[in-house]
Amino acid sequence: MNLPGKMDVGKDKLRQMNCEFNPLSRCDGSVMYSQGATVVIAAVLGPIEVKTQNLSIDGSYLECNYRPKAGLPQVKERIREAAIRDVLELALLAEAHPRSKMSVQVQELEDRGSIDACAVNSACLAMLVGGLPLKYSFAAVHCIINEQGEYVLDPDQSETLHQRASFTFAFDSVEGNLLLVQTKGAFKIAQFNDIECLCRAASAEIFQFYRNQVAKYHGRSEAIAEKEEDASMET
Amino acid sequence: MSTTSTIVMPGERISAIEELAKSKRVILGPGLRRQDDTVVASKAGPLRHKEPSTFWVDNYQRRYIPARGDLVLGIVRSKAGDNYRVDIGAADTASISYLAFEAATKKNRPDLNPGDLIYARVLNASADIEPELVCVNSVGKRGKLGVLAEGFFFKCTLNLGRMLLRENCPVLAALTRELPYEIAVGVNGRIWLKAHSLRETIALANAIVALEQSGCAEIDKICDNLGDFLQA
Repeated sequence: MNLPGKMDVGKDKLRQMNCEFNPLSRCDGSVMYSQGATVVIAAVLGPIEVKTQNLSIDGSYLECNYRPKAGLPQVKERIREAAIRDVLELALLAEAHPRSKMSVQVQELEDRGSIDACAVNSACLAMLVGGLPLKYSFAAVHCIINEQGEYVLDPDQSETLHQRASFTFAFDSVEGNLLLVQTKGAFKIAQFNDIECLCRAASAEIFQFYRNQVAKYHGRSEAIAEKEEDASMET
Repeated sequence: MSTTSTIVMPGERISAIEELAKSKRVILGPGLRRQDDTVVASKAGPLRHKEPSTFWVDNYQRRYIPARGDLVLGIVRSKAGDNYRVDIGAADTASISYLAFEAATKKNRPDLNPGDLIYARVLNASADIEPELVCVNSVGKRGKLGVLAEGFFFKCTLNLGRMLLRENCPVLAALTRELPYEIAVGVNGRIWLKAHSLRETIALANAIVALEQSGCAEIDKICDNLGDFLQA
């Protein structure tokens, strides 16, 4: 990715990402995902039985719930929920399971900045581990312009206190198309373009993280399968 | 099955299969789909290949997706006209006709009640219609299928169910050396077990659930534990 030469980049590294697959036992796929100190749990169920009012004969119905750390979801949470659903709706291969429902639950555990991006990424990982059919995987990146006019990628909460503008972009893994744009504050169109470039470059790192985690998850299980093959040869 | 496997992600084009498809027929299993002239993955996991030309994406899914010919364990939910509704753990409840049992006629209906457990074969599985089950084979004999009375029923992961049903799986043979028992394993991740006593049944169920964590390699150790448990 060629970044424009004269860009004021305060921080162009993503925070440390971590994830744990299937921490919950009763759903079809779940993940605990953290980006820096921001932590969320996402769970998917699907395909499952759908209520008649939501039934669609040419695709599955997608349900998305976002729960805040404490209390009931308010307007802010509803907006976040809608953003996750919009991205998922684009990525989900709905025609694979008609007359069914896919249900995604995202529970916020700790919000220390970039919660929007974190929630979208955790939803993607949960879909991957739950084996739900997707057209592509997706990754969201958050970026702000701070008071000095510098770009700060994936900011921590302390860095977001004084911001001029904040951006959240989501990209798909195949063609790198934009799936979601959320902006807040005042900025120039040139800055918008710069930040899109910056986020696009960072999303590649997230896709690599997905791949590594999936490989690790299956690698562990594969070790068991190989042992079993050895055992069957001995008998 | 090839042991060297590449990890594929949703949306990834798999050109190796496209190359092969030019010369012969290929079978695309779960997790792969055809998009115009390209083969694209729709799930994340290692790409598997079975000779001569079957491909699929392995992944540790917990939700059962019905497929024709699968052996499943289902619980009868209700009676609806000429059909029974059966819960097989899929998105939709399956249906089974009362004529799909051995020696059943219009006069002589099978005696099935809500809550009964049946071992059945999936006759019809399309995404657009509900799955249909049968409890007889093509010549009208029940074979191993039918209602399972008594015994103990529990759920496990889909992988464990498939593993136990594999032809060269050493687990069930090893357990037979310890205890006599009857077992029905469904690929929908459900198992029914029956031994002489309740104690033995529960011991066997625990042994099978323990396999999920340890894998088949530790079957000898599990069998030893089973012996200890029964003597205690």
